[in-house]
Amino acid sequence: MAGAKSALVLCMDVGFSMSNSAPGEEPPFEFAKKVIQKFVQRQVFAETKDELALVLFGTDSTKNSLDKDDQYQNITVHRHLMVPDFELLEEIQNQIHPESQQADWLDALVVCMDLLKTETKEKKCDRLNIVLLTDLNTEANSEQLDVIIENLKQAGINLQFFLPFPAGDDEEGGGDADGRDPGQPGTGKGLSKEQKSGLDMVKHIMLSLDEEDGLGEIYSFRKAIEQLCMFKRIERKPMAWPCQLTIGSCLPIRIVGYKAVTEEKLKKTWTTVDAQTNQKDDVKRETVYCLDDDNETEVQKDDTIQGFRYGSDIVPFSKVDQDQMKYKHDGKCFAVLGFSKQSMLQRHQFMGTQVIKIFSAKDDEHAGVALSALIRALDELNMVAIVRYAYDRRSNPQVGAAFPCIKQDYECLMYVQLPFMEDLRQFTFPSLANNKKFTPSDTQLSAVDSLIDSMMLVEGDDQKDMFKVHHIPNPAFQRHFQCLHHRAVNPGTPLPPMEPWLKAALECPDVISERCQAPLEEIKRKFPLTEVEKKKKLKTSAQIFGKDSEEPDAKKAKGDEEEEEYSLADIAEGSVTSVGSVDPARDFRTLIRKKSLPFGEVCQQLTRRIEQLLSNKNTHYYMKSITCIQAFREQSVKLGDANLYNGYLQSLKRSIPNRGLEVFWDLLVQDAITLISKDEVEGSTVSKNEANQFLVTEEKKEEAAAPQAEDTGDVDDLLDMM
Amino acid sequence: MAEWNAYYKNEDDEEDQEEGEQSGGDYKITGRDSLVFLVDASKEMFIKGEDGEPSNFDMTMQVVRSVYTSKIISSHRDLVALVFYGTEQSKNPRNSFKHVYVYHDLDEPGAKRVQDADALRGAKGAQLAAKTMGSGETSLGDALWCCANLYSDIKLRLSQKRLMIFTCRDEPHGGDSVKDRQARTKANDLKETGVTIDLMHLMKPGGFNVASFFRDIVSPPEDESELGLQLEPCAKLEDLQKRVRAKEQKKRAMARLNLCLGEGINVAVGIYATAVSARKQAPVRLYRETNEPVRSKTRTFHTQTGSLLLPSEIKKAQVYSKKQIVMEKDEVDAIKKFDDPGLVLIGFKPMEKLKRHHHIRPAVFLYPEEDEVKGSACLFSALLTKCSERNVFALCRCIARRNYPPRFVALVPQQEEVDEGKAQITPPGFNVIYLPFADDIRTLDPPQCPVASQIQVDKMKEIVSKLRFKYRSDAFENPVIQQHYRNLEALALDMMAPEDMEDLIMPKVDQIDGRLGPLVEEFKDLVYPFNYNPDSKPAAKRKTAGTGGGAEKKPKVEMPEDELRAHMQNGTLGKLTVPVLKEACKQFGVRTTGTKKQELIDALTERLGS
Repeated sequence: MAGAKSALVLCMDVGFSMSNSAPGEEPPFEFAKKVIQKFVQRQVFAETKDELALVLFGTDSTKNSLDKDDQYQNITVHRHLMVPDFELLEEIQNQIHPESQQADWLDALVVCMDLLKTETKEKKCDRLNIVLLTDLNTEANSEQLDVIIENLKQAGINLQFFLPFPAGDDEEGGGDADGRDPGQPGTGKGLSKEQKSGLDMVKHIMLSLDEEDGLGEIYSFRKAIEQLCMFKRIERKPMAWPCQLTIGSCLPIRIVGYKAVTEEKLKKTWTTVDAQTNQKDDVKRETVYCLDDDNETEVQKDDTIQGFRYGSDIVPFSKVDQDQMKYKHDGKCFAVLGFSKQSMLQRHQFMGTQVIKIFSAKDDEHAGVALSALIRALDELNMVAIVRYAYDRRSNPQVGAAFPCIKQDYECLMYVQLPFMEDLRQFTFPSLANNKKFTPSDTQLSAVDSLIDSMMLVEGDDQKDMFKVHHIPNPAFQRHFQCLHHRAVNPGTPLPPMEPWLKAALECPDVISERCQAPLEEIKRKFPLTEVEKKKKLKTSAQIFGKDSEEPDAKKAKGDEEEEEYSLADIAEGSVTSVGSVDPARDFRTLIRKKSLPFGEVCQQLTRRIEQLLSNKNTHYYMKSITCIQAFREQSVKLGDANLYNGYLQSLKRSIPNRGLEVFWDLLVQDAITLISKDEVEGSTVSKNEANQFLVTEEKKEEAAAPQAEDTGDVDDLLDMM
Repeated sequence: MAEWNAYYKNEDDEEDQEEGEQSGGDYKITGRDSLVFLVDASKEMFIKGEDGEPSNFDMTMQVVRSVYTSKIISSHRDLVALVFYGTEQSKNPRNSFKHVYVYHDLDEPGAKRVQDADALRGAKGAQLAAKTMGSGETSLGDALWCCANLYSDIKLRLSQKRLMIFTCRDEPHGGDSVKDRQARTKANDLKETGVTIDLMHLMKPGGFNVASFFRDIVSPPEDESELGLQLEPCAKLEDLQKRVRAKEQKKRAMARLNLCLGEGINVAVGIYATAVSARKQAPVRLYRETNEPVRSKTRTFHTQTGSLLLPSEIKKAQVYSKKQIVMEKDEVDAIKKFDDPGLVLIGFKPMEKLKRHHHIRPAVFLYPEEDEVKGSACLFSALLTKCSERNVFALCRCIARRNYPPRFVALVPQQEEVDEGKAQITPPGFNVIYLPFADDIRTLDPPQCPVASQIQVDKMKEIVSKLRFKYRSDAFENPVIQQHYRNLEALALDMMAPEDMEDLIMPKVDQIDGRLGPLVEEFKDLVYPFNYNPDSKPAAKRKTAGTGGGAEKKPKVEMPEDELRAHMQNGTLGKLTVPVLKEACKQFGVRTTGTKKQELIDALTERLGS
């Protein structure tokens, strides 16, 4: 039950026989250790309130509360009942080793029972568990067996055994049942006398506790590891939503709703910390507002008001006014608007992100009968209720459908949101059937037919589903926890590769992928597919900026004109002292021409402007940045000094992914603005080839850029800042 | 030097991703859409239909208005123009064209324009049109030329240029071949510059003959089926509205991916969002003094030193049971990466394996991209045909974007459907249904409830049948958004109060009550005990809470036999409480082992029925 807490004792045999194994096999000790590691790990990441204790037996020392006169020797309570944490994980990793004694596993069981009894007195625990991991290689004293069983029953303790070998022929179930794998540790060699009698005792205990399923609680280590490698699925306590279903004004039915299906998110999000101190408090994020002028004048948040766009107009609309004028409603509601045929609703028009199951209110059997009548009436008529649904007064009302759902052991309504008129986009697409070019021939169709035959995921008369998506744990969460765990336990090492079982779970089942090979080959032959050579996408920055391809010649002429204009402007613009923000490229050229400042200084001023422009994430500004970079390049080539430019461009490139400037980079690539090569400027350390490569592919570029970064002294400073 | 690479970041990445997935498509650098309404203003357009049907002109203005308002809500950056031809008066940029009246230049639609379009509606609108523009000679060539100038005057990059001609005259120049030729030339010029010309032909007595003149004017349809020209003229407002809307909304692919059927068999497909939750737009912050918009910048800086932090100077962390686990920013991204974007076929399943309640987010639509991989459309079409013929769906693993973790999706075939007018109702392609993982399904503990008897169910069936209606997905407007825009409209246009809005998702209680009449009471009599009050807590609960023990206060539970028999015949035993039923069992000497209500009822029925 969600919300309640359980207590569990892990009781592990660390005695000397546990480290015995056939050559090439891992000793049972290692398996058992893995089992408890995985188990504790799951508990830690699930962040439940469940408590856990660890008892070891076969230890060299003795530490337990029953230790008296040679009784209960070599049993150590390693950790008392508490919430598991990373400390425990680390202890398991580093402090638990095979030891050289042996202890009676029944004695250990008694210690665990005693521990549970004394330590749960003050706590409210609704489930008590003991998990025993042993190879049963020590003779156990069976005198007290019946007393122990009686006590277990009385205390309501659930018992589980994890053994290095399967308990029987078929009790294991699942994977172990079909393949009596000779490699299974223990099974191949047969069991020792102690193990055999121990196993009998275990079976006796388990069957006394639970006649039917008792043996199901005996697991082999291998099986356990397989099951435990999955992190616990995210569970949430279902929240009841009590309401009344209404039909008209005088037919209410008391109901309660529960979210049944919704995309679960990880409970925790990442926080930002300082890289040096790892402190969250050292980092602060702040949002500032500034006017859209050249100086980016900052304004206080209090000096701003809220507005909305109404087409081309912006309407000031304060929060107070908005709240006053906004749509208001009466709150919580599940009101029937009418009933419609189920076939009028289309599955692909379901909206929202959840399915809610509606039951009748608890403890109200009249409501139950009334709702049942509605559910069955809808089911028999193949209809749905179209309802207005509002979660509460603060949330927006929805229109949705309540489908009848009759299962073997319960019945309910299922609510799904439906679209509003505003949500729909009526796209038309060219017809496929009426187009002769795309019409497949009969042989092509039959090739697809046999592909479908070979790839059917249901089999047999009972239509057994081979690939149930809703049984797969969300791989993103599994990977997330795997990496978190790795980083927590092995800080400073790179993240591990994906777990093989996870990879396999996402792939097509082997049977299918083998079966479909021939039909796929047939498809390949029958349907020629050729990737269309992309003519370098016709997206130069100039086009994006609006000067369309309409009159290319005129545009060129215009460009020349600008060149002229610029020199005129240059004369007029005598007072340029730094690179301004209005036309940084022009200022830059002017300053270099005038030689009033050192080249490095002017370049710095320019790059500062470029960075400022890029921080705006807007095509206009990107365009402006590009003209700046072009000017930078052109002047660098003119002066024969490539280092500053190349250095800047390389560092800029490296920062692209982090700053989300991919769009800008694409523009740069389309305009073919690359590094300055040796061919252009003698001092450059970049070969023509490298310069061309620079813009090609992400990975390759980085390799090419790396070595030369070291030669160029000036650049280092720039790079360090990135 | 630290300043120039100051690092700004605007949104939280997590949310960013979420948004990206939900929003309609990438608008990043493709430019604006534009649409010119070229409306015939000849006398024929103003002729009222029979039975007070609105004139063609009136209908057109209603459509123009609704496009204006919908653009304001959905894509306010698009440019729209309204031009009349065949007018007496002329008004155009250089006044170089006679009988062409540019009512609205190509610009973003605003409040004023909505009012203007409003003013041209109805009888008053016709008067206004007659007064300001009048009807005169027609030269479609000049009109098209004028529109071409509108386009070339725009300095912005336009991603889509569309021109819609609204007319009811199939021979606008009355057989003047010179003018016809001129119009054709100009139409070709426009088409060459990337303008798509659509004809919204309206009803005219004797039928509209597209072939005689307009065939050479309009752009050829996207496919070769000549679907465009087979269309019947629009007689109804809804038809026109639908047709305009279908053309006016630009399809944008959210993503272009490969659908991989197996090693080396990649079909290029585009993903389109056909249903996206429309939300209220985000507010713009304005400077109080001047009402000019301000920009916001979020930056990350060090609390102690106050210096801006570069991406390399921050890391990401999560805390689990008091332990902080730290990762680099790119490691956080790398964890999410499983594979490159794309769809990978896993297999096929019969449609009934697709559970209705496996719904986690709105579906998207898949259509082949012949431009990316030649041959895609053919294989896609074959797959579509066979899947729908065999009633199966394709199960795929889907990674929609870079660094997105995988999801499984069902590709559900959808065949093309057209209406009587040959207009497309549903496009051909696959609907992509996102499927839940184990984590997404919550374990519920369904309460045990009694089951209604057939008599109760039948009564409810009567109720259901009385309240039947035909559900249409576009029948309900979102009251929250409508109210919001009406408020804005009122503020923008200086109206006294916002226009009234009808809340379409409010149950029409009076009508429902009227239709149901006595059925409600009849049903309640069947299921609810006398003076049952659904608003109060169930009596049983209150009793235990109130009296604590309450054992001595057992209610009187005996019931006369005939009453009991009546209940049984009506199938209303379920209305009785468990104690009453138990007592009845005792009374009739029925032995039951069960304590559940249904068991008691079954036992009683068996006994009394025999």
